[in-house]
Amino acid sequence: MNRRTFIKTSLAGGAAVSAFGFDVAPVYAQTQALKISHTSETRSTCPYCSVSCGVIIHTLGDKAKNAIPQVVHVEGDPDHPINRGTLCPKGASLEQDIYNERRLTKPQVRRPGSDHWEDIDWDKAIDEIAHKVKKTRDETFVENDDRGRTVNRCEGIAWSGGCTDTNEFNYLVVKTMRSLGVCYLENQARV
Amino acid sequence: MKISWERQIERTDKLAERSDGAKELLIFYGQLLRLQKEIYDFLRRRKDWRPSGRLEPDLHVIRRMMPKLLALVEARGPDVLASEAHSLRQAGESAIDALLLTYWQSPSDVQFFAKAFLQPYARWLAETDTKPADRNIGSGENRCPFCGGKPQLTFLQTSEPSSDSGGRNLICATCLTAWPFRRVVCAQCGEERPPKLGYFHSPQYDHVRVEACETCKHYIKGIDLTRLGLAVPLVDEVAAAPLDLWASEHGYTKIELNLVGL
Repeated sequence: MNRRTFIKTSLAGGAAVSAFGFDVAPVYAQTQALKISHTSETRSTCPYCSVSCGVIIHTLGDKAKNAIPQVVHVEGDPDHPINRGTLCPKGASLEQDIYNERRLTKPQVRRPGSDHWEDIDWDKAIDEIAHKVKKTRDETFVENDDRGRTVNRCEGIAWSGGCTDTNEFNYLVVKTMRSLGVCYLENQARV
Repeated sequence: MKISWERQIERTDKLAERSDGAKELLIFYGQLLRLQKEIYDFLRRRKDWRPSGRLEPDLHVIRRMMPKLLALVEARGPDVLASEAHSLRQAGESAIDALLLTYWQSPSDVQFFAKAFLQPYARWLAETDTKPADRNIGSGENRCPFCGGKPQLTFLQTSEPSSDSGGRNLICATCLTAWPFRRVVCAQCGEERPPKLGYFHSPQYDHVRVEACETCKHYIKGIDLTRLGLAVPLVDEVAAAPLDLWASEHGYTKIELNLVGL
């Protein structure tokens, strides 16, 4: 048995001494009264603007199956080259964004002429988007310009990407939009 | 970040006054810090001598302070260390030299005497920028960039004036140099997956946390100076001894034991 394993064995046997022989029985008594909470830290990106600040999200939870992890703190990532730990007031309130009761958690649609948003399920939303893309592209596709040159472009659709879209996602967006002939394509591919 | 010996001693005395469980540990650690300061001052004030960067030729100077450490531990230390101090005193100079040289080449956190004695010497090397030339003990992001030593603890401290978040730093167990290290990374094995890294915290020690890794089952204690700016990492780490026992009970092994063997 070496000194490193000694402390563990001693604790199990009830005689608490440190690796150097210090009596740690009083320390051990305090240990029994500790209320320990377990958090994890996850790196992420602020979703608000194209600066794409790095954040660290602190999540409380002991990973037990019946426990729901809870975000307890969001801070700027000090190792992130863009913000080096700083956050703007909006980014600093990210925790509230997670807990905001008005946060959207399902797809919604506002029909033409309607004054309100209505819920729509994912399958129906995807079907509708696919139909509208097809219809719009067919109606607005330009094969030749005024001087008869082949251009094959779709002028009826535009794409605007968000800051949290990853490079991989943006790569797929560009491939998809270019294959549709979409010219009005913008993203915030900085993440 | 180098904290003066005086500030460490002051903090140790203060924490010892109000600590229940770790009182004895802190009292001993305070006495040890006073002696380490004495060793450091002894080296620093020598006008006719500068460290060479090689331990062996420097031994003739630094070993003069060893009897003081042995006497302190024999008088105030726990039985295990006291008898070891007694044996070393009996063994003589060559045995002590061998002990120090062995530790210098292959450090071990259970080698109390060499670690405690060489910390002020290594700190003085770091402060005079005399890089150890005879210490090839490995390198890496988690090793001290100055002497190659393992990290004793981590601390969080804001580096940007406009930042509320603390950058993570490690403190070397040998020369006490601090160097920046990434957050959300295990300081032992480099694990980066968040589900594998756990941070354990108790309200009783609000500015201290156990940073544990499920992959290698090692842990290191972290002092959050953004929560308590008055904390002195090396001292507060010792004062939060109950967290070490908690971690040990939960199957984690400390990367580097501190000078009270926890």
